[in-house]
Amino acid sequence: MAQLYLQLQAKLMRDYYKDFSKYAKGKTPTRKVAWVTAFTPVEILEALGVEYIYPESYAAVIAASGQEQELLKESEKNGLCPDCCAYSGCFNGALSTGTAPRGLPPKPDVLIATNNQCNTLPNWWNLLAEKYHIPLIVLDYPGESVEKERSLPYVTMQHKDLIEQMEALSGNRLDESCLAEIIQNSQRSVAAWDRVAGLLAEKCVDPMALFDGISYLIIARCRPETAALYDAMYEIQEEAGEADAEKTPVFWLGYPLWYHPQRYLKELLPDFRICGSNYITWWSLDYSGDNPFEQLFTAYNYTFLNLSAETKRRRLQECISVSGAKAAISLRNKSCKCDFVSAKYIDLPQVELEIDMIDREYLDIEHAKAQLDILREIV
Amino acid sequence: MHILSLSTLIPEQICDTERFFGYEGKQRISHYCGYASEFIARVLEDSTVDGAAFPRTCDSCRTVGSYMESSGKFLHFFHIPIRRDAAAVAYLAESIRAYQTAIENHYGVKITDVAERAERINTRNRGLRALYEHLLELSYIAYLETIHTLLQKPLQEQEVPTELSVRAASASPRVLVVGSTQAGTGLVRQIEAAGMHIIGDRLPESRRLIFAPEVSAKGDIYENIAKSILAGMLSPSQDAFAEIIKEDRNEILQKQVRGVIFLTQKYCEPYDYLFPAYKRMLDEISIPVLRVTEIGSSTENTALAIETFADLL
Repeated sequence: MAQLYLQLQAKLMRDYYKDFSKYAKGKTPTRKVAWVTAFTPVEILEALGVEYIYPESYAAVIAASGQEQELLKESEKNGLCPDCCAYSGCFNGALSTGTAPRGLPPKPDVLIATNNQCNTLPNWWNLLAEKYHIPLIVLDYPGESVEKERSLPYVTMQHKDLIEQMEALSGNRLDESCLAEIIQNSQRSVAAWDRVAGLLAEKCVDPMALFDGISYLIIARCRPETAALYDAMYEIQEEAGEADAEKTPVFWLGYPLWYHPQRYLKELLPDFRICGSNYITWWSLDYSGDNPFEQLFTAYNYTFLNLSAETKRRRLQECISVSGAKAAISLRNKSCKCDFVSAKYIDLPQVELEIDMIDREYLDIEHAKAQLDILREIV
Repeated sequence: MHILSLSTLIPEQICDTERFFGYEGKQRISHYCGYASEFIARVLEDSTVDGAAFPRTCDSCRTVGSYMESSGKFLHFFHIPIRRDAAAVAYLAESIRAYQTAIENHYGVKITDVAERAERINTRNRGLRALYEHLLELSYIAYLETIHTLLQKPLQEQEVPTELSVRAASASPRVLVVGSTQAGTGLVRQIEAAGMHIIGDRLPESRRLIFAPEVSAKGDIYENIAKSILAGMLSPSQDAFAEIIKEDRNEILQKQVRGVIFLTQKYCEPYDYLFPAYKRMLDEISIPVLRVTEIGSSTENTALAIETFADLL
C-alpha cells in the first residue's frame, strides 16, 4: 500500500511540476495554460485540455523551501504593500527575480480568478494581467448572500461563458459527458479525502501529513488518481495507533504555517495534539445537483469562505465537535482577512495568535508562548 | 429610518441613507480597514442609526456584517456583480429590487418614489459634475466638503451650490488625488495648504457620482439604476486595473498634472494592489507619486511627507 501511495504521489507531482525548471529557461508548454485561484471550477479546464496552475500553492511551496523572505522584499520593492496577502508577495517576487525552488510555472495564456474565497485574489490577478497583458476572467460567486433562484442562473451563465472562452483558447469542444465524468472524479476525491481527514480526531496522525496531503485535492481534485491516492493514504494512516490520550486535543483554526517544518507550532505544543483543523475541510466541496452545471454551481458558489456568518459558524462548530477538541488555537492571519471571524463564537478555551502562513518573521514567538501558556492554564 | 451606508454603490434611488465618512468609536479590529471598523463602531454605538447597508467589494466589507449581526438592526449586504454585461445588469436590477423589498419589510413602509428620486439624483450629479469640471478655478476642499455634507443629508435637502470658493490663479503644481473614500477633508486640506492644487481625483465619493450615467425614468427603473451603477466607477476589485489606469493617464496628461497623491487606508487591499500597476504607468510618463496610508487621523509624518512632495514638485 505504501508503494502504491508513493507511486501515485510521484505521478501527480511529476505531472504538475515536471517542466517548471524548463519553463524557467524559456520552454513553451504544449497546451494552453491558465493560472487559476484555488476555488476555480477546474473541471471545465480539465475537460477542455487546458493546463491549470495554482500560484497560491506555489507560494506555499516557496515558503516551505525557506525562500520567501527575499521574494517578499522583492515584491515590496516593486510597490506591493507588505500588508497584502503574502501568497501574492511571495509569488510575484519569484516572477520578478525569476527564481523559485522548482523553477517557474509556464507562462499563462489566460488568468482566471474567483471571488468565492476573498476579494484579494481578483486584485492580485489584475496585477498579473497588467504584467502579462493577457485576458483576465473573474468569476463572480454571490454565495449565500443571494437566494439560489437568482444566483444559479447568474453563475451558470458565467460557467457557460467560461466554456466558450476556453473552447476558443484551446480549440477543443466540450463534451458534457466528459465534464460529468470529471466532476465525478472530483466527488470521489472529496469523499476519499474526507475519510483521511477524519482520522485526525482519533488516530495518531501527523497533522503535517494532512496539511501537505490536501494539496492534491487543490491542484488535482478532478484527476482519477487523486481518490486512489487518498484511499491508499487512508489505509496507511488507519494503521497508526490511537491518538495519545494524555495530550489535550486542540483544534487548529486557520492555515498551516507553510514555512514551518511541521506546518504548525509543534515545539510549543508538547502537551497538545492537533485533533482537527478547518483548513483541511475547505476543499471538501459539495458537488450535489441534477446536472453538471448545478453541480459546479453548488460546489463553487458555496465554498466555506463564501457562506454567511451564521452557516460558517454552524459548520465550524460541527467540525470542532467531531474533532473532540478541548481547546482551540485560532490564527489571526495577516494575509487572510476573511478567515478568522467565526472563531469568536467558539465555546471552548482558545487563544488567538497573530501569525502569517507565509511570512515567518511576522510571528512574535515569545508572545505566542505566553498565549499558549495561558491556554494551558485554562485547560 | 436611519440607514448608514458604507459605500456610494448602495443605490440612493431606493431611499435615503446616510453615507458614512468617519467616526471616532471604540471598535478596533487588527489587520482590518480602519474605515470599516469605524463604520461598525458607529452602527453598534449610535442608537439613532437603525440600519446598515454595505457592498461586498473588499475583504473587510465581506465580514462587516458578522461584527454587527447581534445588533438587531437592519443589515443589508449588497452584492454588486463584477461583470458589466446584460446578464449582470439584470442580476443587479434584481438585487436592487430585493434591497427595496428588504427595507419595506423591515420598516413597514412602501417605497413609491424611486423614479422621482432618480431624477433628483441626476440633477444633483449634474451640478457636482459642473463643479468638478471647474476645479482649475475652484477650491477642491470646498468641492469635497460639499459632497461629504450632501451625502449625509436626506436627498430632499441636497442642493448643490452653484458657486464655491474660487481659487486665485497661481502657478501651484497641479496634482491628482487617488484612493479610497476619505474619512474627512483633513488630508486634502494638508495637500492644498502645502501649496499643491488638486485639479481632479479618483475618490469613490466624488468620481462615482459625477461619472455615473444618468438614470432614465423610462422603462424598467431598476434596470436603469443597475446600468448606471455598472457603467460608473466600481471598486478596483471589480474594475479592470487596465481601465482605471488608462482613464487616469488620459486625465493626467490632459490636465497637465505634475504629481499624484495616492491616499489609502491601512489594510485597504483593493488600492494596495492597484498601486504597483498605477505607479508603473506614472513612471512611464515621468509623474512622481506620493503614497499616504492613513491610520486613523493624519499624523505629523504625513504632513511632512506632503510638504516634501510639494517641494519636489
